[in-house]
Amino acid sequence: MQRDGNRNVTGQERVKVAALVSVGRHPVTGRPRRAEYDARAVEIGLSLATGGNLHLAHAGECSPESEAALRAYLGMGIAGVDVLQQPAGADIVPALEAWLRELGPRLVLCGARGETGEASGLVPFLLAERLGWSLVCGLAAVESVDGDSMIVLQALPRGQRRRLKVRLPAVVTVDAAAQPARQSAFGPARRGGLQRLDTPVTPDGDAQSWTTAPARKRPKRLKIVKATSARDRFKAAAAKAEGGGGQVLTGVSAQAGAEAILKLLREEGVLR
Amino acid sequence: MNDIIRRDPRTEWIARNRLHPEHDAVLARMGGSTPAAKWMGPNGIIRRNPHAVGFIGPNGVRRIDRSGAQTANAGASARREAAAAPTRRQIRIETPAFYVAVVADMPGGRLSAHDRDVLGLARQLADEDSAGQGAVLLVSFGESREDALGDAGVDRVVSFAGERFEGYAPEQRLTALGGVERQHEPRHWLFPDSSLGGAELGRRLAARLGERPATQVWQIANGECTGRGAAGATDVTRRLPRIVLALPECAEPVSESTHAAESIAPPAALPQALRRIEDLGAVAVDPSSVALAEAEFILSAGNGIRDWGGFHRAASVLGATEGASRVAVDNGFMPRHRQVGATGTWVTARVYLAVGISGAIQHLQGIQQCDKVIAINTDPGCDMVKRADLAVIADSSEVLAALVELVDGVKKEQRNAA
Amino acid sequence: MLDVVLPVLVLGALALALLGALRRIGLWRQGRPSPVSVLGGLAAMPRRYLVDLHDVVARDKVFANTHVATGGGFVAAAVLLILVHGFQLESRVLSWALIAASVVMFAGALRVAARRRNPPVRLSRGPWMRLPKSLFAFASGVFLVTLPTAGVVPASFGGWALAGVLTLVVAWGIAEMFLGMTWGGPMKHAFAGALHLAFHRRPERFGGGRSTGLKPLDLGNPEAPLGVGKPADFTWNQLLGFDACVQCGRCEAMCPAFAAGQPLNPKKLIQDMVVGMAGGTDAAYAGSPYPGKPVGEHGGDAHSAIVLRGGHEGGRALVDAETLWSCTTCRACVEECPMMIEHVDAIVDMRRHLTMEHGNTPNKGREVLENLATTDNPGGFDPASRMNWAADLDLPLMSARGSADVLLWMGDGAFDMRNQRTLRALVKILRAAKVDFAVLGNEELDSGDVARRLGDEATFQALAARNAATLAKYRFREIVTCDPHSFHVLKNEYGAFGASYTVSHHSTFISSLMEKGRLALGEWTGGRVTYHDPCYLGRYNGEYEAPRKALKGIGIKVVDMERSGFRSRCCGGGGGAPITDIPGKRRIPDMRMEEINATKADVVAVGCPQCTAMLEGVVGPRPEVLDIAELVAAQLVAAPAAAQRAKKDVAEEVAA
Repeated sequence: MQRDGNRNVTGQERVKVAALVSVGRHPVTGRPRRAEYDARAVEIGLSLATGGNLHLAHAGECSPESEAALRAYLGMGIAGVDVLQQPAGADIVPALEAWLRELGPRLVLCGARGETGEASGLVPFLLAERLGWSLVCGLAAVESVDGDSMIVLQALPRGQRRRLKVRLPAVVTVDAAAQPARQSAFGPARRGGLQRLDTPVTPDGDAQSWTTAPARKRPKRLKIVKATSARDRFKAAAAKAEGGGGQVLTGVSAQAGAEAILKLLREEGVLR
Repeated sequence: MNDIIRRDPRTEWIARNRLHPEHDAVLARMGGSTPAAKWMGPNGIIRRNPHAVGFIGPNGVRRIDRSGAQTANAGASARREAAAAPTRRQIRIETPAFYVAVVADMPGGRLSAHDRDVLGLARQLADEDSAGQGAVLLVSFGESREDALGDAGVDRVVSFAGERFEGYAPEQRLTALGGVERQHEPRHWLFPDSSLGGAELGRRLAARLGERPATQVWQIANGECTGRGAAGATDVTRRLPRIVLALPECAEPVSESTHAAESIAPPAALPQALRRIEDLGAVAVDPSSVALAEAEFILSAGNGIRDWGGFHRAASVLGATEGASRVAVDNGFMPRHRQVGATGTWVTARVYLAVGISGAIQHLQGIQQCDKVIAINTDPGCDMVKRADLAVIADSSEVLAALVELVDGVKKEQRNAA
Repeated sequence: MLDVVLPVLVLGALALALLGALRRIGLWRQGRPSPVSVLGGLAAMPRRYLVDLHDVVARDKVFANTHVATGGGFVAAAVLLILVHGFQLESRVLSWALIAASVVMFAGALRVAARRRNPPVRLSRGPWMRLPKSLFAFASGVFLVTLPTAGVVPASFGGWALAGVLTLVVAWGIAEMFLGMTWGGPMKHAFAGALHLAFHRRPERFGGGRSTGLKPLDLGNPEAPLGVGKPADFTWNQLLGFDACVQCGRCEAMCPAFAAGQPLNPKKLIQDMVVGMAGGTDAAYAGSPYPGKPVGEHGGDAHSAIVLRGGHEGGRALVDAETLWSCTTCRACVEECPMMIEHVDAIVDMRRHLTMEHGNTPNKGREVLENLATTDNPGGFDPASRMNWAADLDLPLMSARGSADVLLWMGDGAFDMRNQRTLRALVKILRAAKVDFAVLGNEELDSGDVARRLGDEATFQALAARNAATLAKYRFREIVTCDPHSFHVLKNEYGAFGASYTVSHHSTFISSLMEKGRLALGEWTGGRVTYHDPCYLGRYNGEYEAPRKALKGIGIKVVDMERSGFRSRCCGGGGGAPITDIPGKRRIPDMRMEEINATKADVVAVGCPQCTAMLEGVVGPRPEVLDIAELVAAQLVAAPAAAQRAKKDVAEEVAA
């Protein structure tokens, strides 16, 4: 739970917001679930558009397994999800584009990347390009929305933030920097509706020729020593790994201890 | 420099023969720049420098070889070592057959490790075509502070500087890339797949050009590339596309050659991009409100803290994010969302300063990914001290007070200087 | 004159009381239906009152006698009053009986008054403070007006003035006793309490039985409410149960969360439910508040939300969410309640609504419930690593064996490094006793205890169904576990889903092994040992003896704490309380450790992974916390010696 950070949205109007959601996959067990980033995107959507102004769409198959995962989004307090039925191996972008054109939202929220399939994170970019809308990545929070622009906070590394003014309509992607998604409740998940929509299917030709395999472990990069003499190479290989007990200052004055700490803080560059 | 060692048996023989009339002269010639061990003083007395005599043997012991040969050789071996220190081949590609473009992140104007890996990958692609030699074209934004671009394997540099590329300007940068595309038509575009850097720009370019990129690529071989799919759960192998977004360590950085890194002029007359995103600048983030998992410098309190006021003051003076052990939270001194450890938050700070924390296993688990751990504790035997890179065994409140004083002093000095 | 006024008074009051009763019944009937046997319940009621309820009341001997005198006197007096003065039955005997009853009642009222002079804090004040006076009024009034009927004084004694005064006194008494019983007042407990006993939702609790498993929600029916969101979502007999509360505060005195300054007071909670049922605010409540929450700010009615969505921002409703999340489900309040009210059921019902409708389980609740749904354990560990702790033990797997005498249920402690020590000790004991046992290994899932107590009935039922399906594949005589929470759930809560097993806590199993002489054990030579009763073993399942027997078996003389046995205080680890983590003034385990320290024990024996974790989390210096299995395993004598001793036993037997 993050209680700090200013995440209060001020000066909001009732804007039409869409969120694109996918079926995720648990990293440990591989079970279907709501995708982590998509759920965070929905969370931002809920903070912007309470009630019926948040529209969710999922493009893909609607098997019983994926239905349970989609219902987890409903459990966040969403009335319904439009399921654009697309078989496996279809290019979902045209279907989503058509859905968005029809809906005409001011803001489209997407998770930065899916958790199944190619998970290339391209969909928001393709949609923004084809629709000609603005695109912002790594959204941390939406501060305010008015008629044709919004002020958002973009997440930079290490908790830093950057304020952007973005012209609407816009597509934004959400990743780990945004607030975690709220709990999914059983009752709303059961009551909510999955509207299955038949949409034209565009096969994804490129992907036909790919081979997909379970991820192989990547080899750890070895520290390669460029040395011409065998002795140097041996010395480098046999050198004791660094570390193995740090420096312990016993019986020093508080002043001396503080100086040693300050020196390390400076070396690491964390002192501003 | 000529790195072939040529031996002259005659001079070596003279050097060994102390009685040879030319002995001294030869030694002086062979000794090169090493300080003379023996010379004629102003009064005609022979002076010797005992420090300059002999050489350091392989075991680090000074050895004196009265024959003089080794002393002379020391200079030679130094020269040989200088030659052996990996020299990079100088490579200049006059007329490249094609370009491989790399758009580097260059945080702070310098190549990141990730950038260098991607440049190494680009080098691989530029060199492997038997039909013609390609060149690596680095596209950089903002002012470059990197002075060794050539060592990273860059043949040509196009750099876009200027106010409109500053800050968050993906649209302007995309137009610039479009210009490069039109001018040079690179065979490949490579991007580091790093959030808020290449990951975004690469995908934007792919969408603009209508090219299907390969993302999260970690291996390229035989015209095929392998990238992670399904959030790291699968490997997708496909023919190498034009646009590749590569993960860190996708290739070895260039280490054996130096390239010209010639600047070429950016394409003139870029179309004016529609400015839909305006960067209003960085937001001052109070370190204490940064989420623990994201914080880079954490000052963490445990059961050993007596002076909580002093602790909070230290955190604010040092600009650190506050953390706490479970006990400190349980005892109500710190809020629950500040708890570090397996049952609290797993942190990834660059520096973790643990004050009065003995280091329960759950706590140590939570700080596994911290780069440097500093401990202030009164118990030298506790686990946190064993884990720490620097441990100060002293009263925590005194050390913190001293630290605050030091940092305050430094800040005051800076203010006075300014 | 009295013989004209009194019948009117008595019969009029009776009629009004009847009206009140109808209104009260109407209030209860706002609740949802509940299947109870009306006639059977009414028939069983006197026995339930006189035996079961009185057993609980009699824990306070003095007050039990007081209540027998007052209550018994009143019931007799009331019946006779109706006969003698209401229906004017001319009978000397009845009149004398009435006089006697009123005297007994008066005597009782004296004790009540004495207790009210300087009442303990747990007692509510307010209207309850006037109760002794009302009792006096009734008893003395009835006594005096019956004197003429009994012929002690002439009918015209005292004239109309005295008759008028007497009428007023009797009227006061009758108003409090008859009208108060049904229109609301301290005496409401007599009417509602009697019916509550008759229509109790857990009739198994009477006659020495035990019923502690939570009642399942019907998830198959999309119309059925998910838990309790408004007072009318309770079943009618639950509402009736709330009305039976006498505000004696015994629950408050036992509640660990209340003692720790967390915002929960079981008595106030029940009173708030009464407020909610009838509509209004809690301003009239005159007992201890929820710690840190002033009285008078909360209110509601039967058809509005008990807890507001989104916490404090939207104002206040009947109860704040953190009140409900403070409960450790230790059942100390239920155990102590003389009215046998089911506080824990009510709290879990309301939690179910918060989790399954609001999706608002505080703090780590969200994470834990998500982990349970996706990884089958609360910690989010890889379910395939459940057996890693026993990599070197070569434990027999059920999937390979198909059957075994004993199924060792490991519980989620298998992922916890501390509990792994306990599990290893237990395995050592089982091996030493040559028990034919096997484990489910990675097939085992979390029992669902935490999910259920955090209100996530859906996750609980899913886990239960999958566990039951796994267990159905294998043949075993009994399940043994060192986790009382799994023990309780497997034993008492899976039954509702058609899966019933013989389940033993490891302490029970070890003590039976000792009785059978299958363990060769040395003598404990350490220091003083005290034993902390886990709630889910003790109060939930009545097992207080076996752990003590097991400890005795290795020569430990347990020094009991002041609160032990059925009055043992919770460690603070139950009901998901460490997960929801509601702040209080102190921590429950710290309080418990103080009680342990008071025994000057060097070791505290425990029988639950939760208790171990909570008590070990207390900052030292403190006694060592060791599981019974660890203590016993440490005393296992090496096998050859055991064989020798066994041989010697045989030799002695032969010699004898």
